[in-house]
Amino acid sequence: MEFDGLSVDQAPPISAPIRFFVTAPLFAILAGILILFSDATVLASRYSIETIVITHAITIGFLSFVMFGALFQMLPVLAGVKISKVDIISKVSYAFMLIGTFSMIFGLWLNISKLILFSSLLLGGGFLTVIVSMLIAFRSVVNVTASVRAMITSLIFAFIIVLMGMHLLASYGIGKFSDLHGLFANIHSVWAIFGFAGVLIIGVAFHVLPMFYVAPRFKRFCKQRVVWLITSGLLLWLFLNIFIESYSTIAKIWVAMFFWAFSTTVYLKLNARRRKVSDVTVWYWRSAAIFMTLGTFSWAINDYFDAKYIVIVSILIGGGFIFSIMSGMLYKIVPFLVWFHLNAKGYMSIPTMNGMINKKLATAQFILFIVSLVGFIISFFVPSILPVFAITFISSMVILEYNIVVPILIYVKTIKTKPDFDMSMFTMKVEK
Amino acid sequence: MSTIKEYLTQDHGKCDELFANMEDAAAKSIESAKEAYGDFARETERHFQMEERVMFLEFEQKTGMTQGPTAIMRHEHAQMRNLIAEMGKAIEAKDKDKFFGNSETLMILMQQHNMKEEQMLYTMAQQHLSAESDRIVDMMKSMIVQ
Repeated sequence: MEFDGLSVDQAPPISAPIRFFVTAPLFAILAGILILFSDATVLASRYSIETIVITHAITIGFLSFVMFGALFQMLPVLAGVKISKVDIISKVSYAFMLIGTFSMIFGLWLNISKLILFSSLLLGGGFLTVIVSMLIAFRSVVNVTASVRAMITSLIFAFIIVLMGMHLLASYGIGKFSDLHGLFANIHSVWAIFGFAGVLIIGVAFHVLPMFYVAPRFKRFCKQRVVWLITSGLLLWLFLNIFIESYSTIAKIWVAMFFWAFSTTVYLKLNARRRKVSDVTVWYWRSAAIFMTLGTFSWAINDYFDAKYIVIVSILIGGGFIFSIMSGMLYKIVPFLVWFHLNAKGYMSIPTMNGMINKKLATAQFILFIVSLVGFIISFFVPSILPVFAITFISSMVILEYNIVVPILIYVKTIKTKPDFDMSMFTMKVEK
Repeated sequence: MSTIKEYLTQDHGKCDELFANMEDAAAKSIESAKEAYGDFARETERHFQMEERVMFLEFEQKTGMTQGPTAIMRHEHAQMRNLIAEMGKAIEAKDKDKFFGNSETLMILMQQHNMKEEQMLYTMAQQHLSAESDRIVDMMKSMIVQ
């Protein structure tokens, strides 16, 4: 019986998710550099080109790279399904998304219309390839759990926002904007944050929190209904936005209420967890819950201030909530994948997960990240201090990249040098 | 009576509780974690054997799939047994860092393993073995650990 790689048969090759993870912080560093060289007053407007570019360097370059990388890994585990030709799908979508994101950033920043149109095609091609492959994989799921339903729902939202994003980007490429451009941009951003990222995070949290932290399980009602309630809220928000815009705040409060309830639940569950060990991932979950609580309320009441504070809302939700959770997840998933794949190949003398991450550097990275977020919010009111926090953000992302690269180098070095190759562990009691 | 899926899923929860007790004890003092480690290691080994010696065999016999999901799960059991043994050595050596390094790795490995079993293998087992569910659960309950 051949054991080499057996336990990873079901999982994709390590390169499928890792290539996305290792690239994500590089886009965040680029976003930090662009913030550093931008006029802070221009960034206070959500419709300025600079804001759009920096936002997408973060949302596409960092957040979606981490989310899709993680989905490649999580589908076989959480849903028990296999993406067909996963290696090719990962390589193709990665190449398209990588070149597409760079083209979008530089095309918009330097106003090169052909590059913008090219990026629209590449990003659409990359995202749709991976989204459709994953949705097809879900057709063979045997056990439809709350997490599976949430993942499917979030991918459907992703499909729609990608199509809208392609249209919006192409509008910049040809320099013509339809009357519905503003409405499309709103739907694109709200559904991306709450429908795609928010629902995906909630669905994964149903599993991850009780299992990894031995926290109390989510209530049945929560697992069965919350994704449906958020989806209906987002559809209601769409309807009101198109037909009775003045009432759209009702739907916003509806959606915000469930995300606030989720954030509070996460915080309480972490307090009640049986596993008291605390590390950077727990801090990230906690900070995400706090920022999301502030973010949902700010978003719901932002209309009463003529949407003046939408940039602050984006920092609280995009940075404080989604970015935090993605960063925390990287600290668990990257060292685990390295350990898991090396161990499955028969290498025994390898560091444990804790041995691959320098705790002090991880703490420094977390603190710098939180300081940057708070600093970005303060900079909205005091623009002159923005460069300071651009630098703390860049520093935080450089450390994050280093913390991800170290385990990967351990993997590469082990494969190259083959320090030991001990299969004796597998001489276990196997009855036939 | 519980179904195969319910019974083994509850048993995962029991092992998780014992794991948390063990880490609590080790956080206070590595020397005092010996008993809690023993409880966790014993119950986890019992769980592995309930699967390997009873449920997996029944599943393989019924479906003819001997190189499928059960082989993958057996392989991961071996990986976990190795980490549990390393944790025992760390307690003997009073090496707290080594203990927590292994326990963190074990926790993630164990949980992704449990997710795969609960999501896929137990569901498949329940579908194929529903008629014999009571008998198989009885056999697992009365099994003597080797």
